Amino acid sequence: MVPPSAGSTLMTLCLLGSSALAAIVNYDFNISWVTAQPDGFSRPTIGINGEWPIPQITANVGDRVIINVVNGLGNQTTSLHFHGLYMNGTPHMDGPVSVTQCAIPPGGSFVYDFHINQPGTYWYHSHDSGQYPDGLRGALIVKDPDSPYKDQYDEELVLTLSDWYHDQMPGQLARFISYANPTGAEPVPKSALMNDTQNLDIKVEPGKTYMFRIINMGAFAGQYLWFEGHTMKIVEVDGIYTEAAEADMIYLTAAQRYSVLITTKDDASSNFAIVGSMDQDLFDAVPADLNPNVTGWLVYSDSAPRPTPALVDEFEPFDDFTLAPYDKLPLYTDPDYSFELRVEMNNLGDGANYAWFNNITYVRPKVNTLYTALTSGNLATNPAIYGDHTNPFVLEKDQVVEIVLDNMDPGKHPFHLHGHAFQTVARSEEEAGDYMYNETLPAYPMRRDTVMVRPNGNLVLRFKADNPGIWLFHCHIEWHVASGLIATIVERPLDLQNTLSLAGSPYASPNSSALAIPTSHIEACTKQDISIAGNAAGNQDDLLDLRGQNAPPAPLPEGFTAKGIVAMTFSIVAALLGMAVIGWYGNLDRKDVK
Amino acid sequence: MPDVFAVPIFFIVFRECVEVSIIVSLLLSWQKQTLGSDPAINKKLRRQVWYGCLAGLLVCFIVGGGMIGSFYGLHIDKWGATEPYWEGVFSIVASIIIAAMGAALLRVSKLQAKWQAKIHASFDAKDATKASSKWERVKAWTRKYFMFWLPFVTVLREGAEAIIFIAGVGLGLPGRSIPLPVVVGLAAGAVVGVILYKGGNFAPVHIFLIVSTCFLYLVAAGLFSKGVWFLESGAWNKIIGGDAAETGSGPGSYDIRQSVWHVNCCNPYINGGGGWGIFNAILGWQNSATVGSVVSYNLFWLVTILTFLGMAFNEKNGRWPLMKAKTVDRKGSETDSGSEKDGGIAYPEKTAKRDTETVTEVQSTKS
Repeated sequence: MVPPSAGSTLMTLCLLGSSALAAIVNYDFNISWVTAQPDGFSRPTIGINGEWPIPQITANVGDRVIINVVNGLGNQTTSLHFHGLYMNGTPHMDGPVSVTQCAIPPGGSFVYDFHINQPGTYWYHSHDSGQYPDGLRGALIVKDPDSPYKDQYDEELVLTLSDWYHDQMPGQLARFISYANPTGAEPVPKSALMNDTQNLDIKVEPGKTYMFRIINMGAFAGQYLWFEGHTMKIVEVDGIYTEAAEADMIYLTAAQRYSVLITTKDDASSNFAIVGSMDQDLFDAVPADLNPNVTGWLVYSDSAPRPTPALVDEFEPFDDFTLAPYDKLPLYTDPDYSFELRVEMNNLGDGANYAWFNNITYVRPKVNTLYTALTSGNLATNPAIYGDHTNPFVLEKDQVVEIVLDNMDPGKHPFHLHGHAFQTVARSEEEAGDYMYNETLPAYPMRRDTVMVRPNGNLVLRFKADNPGIWLFHCHIEWHVASGLIATIVERPLDLQNTLSLAGSPYASPNSSALAIPTSHIEACTKQDISIAGNAAGNQDDLLDLRGQNAPPAPLPEGFTAKGIVAMTFSIVAALLGMAVIGWYGNLDRKDVK
Repeated sequence: MPDVFAVPIFFIVFRECVEVSIIVSLLLSWQKQTLGSDPAINKKLRRQVWYGCLAGLLVCFIVGGGMIGSFYGLHIDKWGATEPYWEGVFSIVASIIIAAMGAALLRVSKLQAKWQAKIHASFDAKDATKASSKWERVKAWTRKYFMFWLPFVTVLREGAEAIIFIAGVGLGLPGRSIPLPVVVGLAAGAVVGVILYKGGNFAPVHIFLIVSTCFLYLVAAGLFSKGVWFLESGAWNKIIGGDAAETGSGPGSYDIRQSVWHVNCCNPYINGGGGWGIFNAILGWQNSATVGSVVSYNLFWLVTILTFLGMAFNEKNGRWPLMKAKTVDRKGSETDSGSEKDGGIAYPEKTAKRDTETVTEVQSTKS
């Protein structure tokens, strides 16, 4: 087994300290290129401190985590997003570039400093330019001394799943969003990984119960996962404890996590396969040489054979919608603000395929949306200032918000909301069409932060606006992030102005107790000549003037344009003229006919 | 409809059939005029003419059917990924063949004079043998022979021509699209023959021929444009790594960089295309026109116009435009019209050559 090692030299205190003491956990991350061959193919991979797999971030509930990042990549910008963490009070630490921060330029350094007040299984990854599939993604585990299940297991293990590519993302993205890929066919991964390797041994002892923290940190492929001969007991999804539920097979979309309890057998004579199998429904064309599976083993006995996994007839994963949260948080009723998002894929004038929410494909604003909110005074509640291509939705304090998502696309999409875990109050089967507002909703809906909508189906999510910040809602297939399947949730912007401050700028918060955005964040912008104030177009004087904002390519020309009409006219005239000449020539002949 | 009725094939068969009809109707008229006094011999000879025709037709059907049949048996849908390229090449070849033939079709009326001369010549030759009485039987036999062999050979020759054309034009077409136009073409040609024979008047036929030549050139221009379109579509399939037709009529079914117009409907290649398929077969309609297909369409007409103008110039002045007059004068109108057949083919061959040049031009601008 490749251990999800803590590469940090400065991880301190927390492991020894009592649960009551909040600790400061420090990490120094130098993000740089290394060479790795997790599936046997050697490729440049983004590592941390010269290592790949990258270190696991480990903390206890209540800890403060400080990560000093240096971008040593040389040729790419970067950022880190801590997937699933609410970042309550520190929304500027969330990590998506052009939303809460500027990208960390090559050679730049950046501080992430936040408190973790939530237990569970998380992960962290780059949120810049579709970068993380090149290797910059790792586990983030928040241990909970007060876990309701703490007495039911003996040991915790982390099991990551991932798809893996051999080409680097920048080139793949250029080919993906290109006239040559008009159907938007996503690149198919080259292999699947388990703990960033293949044929993984997990040594277990008989008669014990293990809690596996399972994370799909892939870019694209959902994975089916099962342990041969063992039943899983699901106790956590995406950081939310659930009422225990038994499952033989689970399905993790990209970015989803599960904690499952597995009790080992009393007999230690044989070993059992663990199989992760990439969901090939997602792939437009499955290459003949693709092995969609990755195998590991529960190794009871090192000397016993490691069996080849049996073939399964059909994938019948556990339906996560049936889960109930352990805390029995009841359904949020009577939403104060409900909006629909319609998911479509369509092409633009450059011939490439783009992804759309409500006919808008996301294009990065010129100013980080958070900074726009902080520098726009009372206009911050006007969605217009956040740009025409960012899909902004402005939320007010403590609103119950409902997102009704209608998937018009024949593909599965795992949707993720930053800053919140949402209640999944309705989810249709495939091909169900639009949500009809006539479902009976569960009394205690499952909560999580990433959920899959089925092909041409619908999904309804609810959450409470209790966490000021700028939170993206997006598909967690990295290709669709790149092609624009993103909406921006602007949650309580006036509260943000009160609690966060662009200190030292003319836009510093009037509230002296507001938390200052660190200098390293501002420097990341100024080094790249990115404005830290104004609307999405960078306009600071007239915030409603969005001229010059970043925009997608022009729409595809519809039908006959001027060019087409001219061409058609020319062709018709040519044909008529030609026939006239033929007639004339034929009649020259006619005189000769007697 | 294009699936079961290949318009170019119809015209090819029709044109060849008209030619045979003219000859047969001339033979019959001639017989009527010269031998009308003897109904018995007349009937006998008429029968011979028809036997000759039918025999020729039979041989053509057997040879042609076998040839084309085996051709399709060999090649049926084995093109696979290269299909658009083959279709493109075949379309262009077909358009060139039709263009070359078209001018000849226009000149079919001149055949009247040509064949009258031929029949007279044969008959005169036979008259010359009349002097010797021991040749009487041979003469009668020869005459008998002549009335059988002339239509037989004519049908054979025109039939062979038709077979070659059909094979060439039909390469890119589904096999089942051939029989119906062959039958209809034969019928239409026969009808023209009957009109000629009954009316003895070329004027309405002449107009009909002009109109149908125009139509044939429309088809050829469409095919030429379609051929270029197919080549481009093959290149596009290669770029997107699949069959663009699978993406339907919408985005992705065409290369935006080459697009001149695109309507998300009216795709002539999906589910037979309905009316748009016919529109495509006859006029070369594309719901997604490309720079190449539009330019090639217009270029085809430009070359056609210039060729016809050049031919007219040549006929009038005895030389080609921009060239010096030949030192040897052309012969008299009688022999001239006798060589018309050759001339009719020779000129369009120039068209064909020019068209090939056009193709290379288009391809070179593509690359």
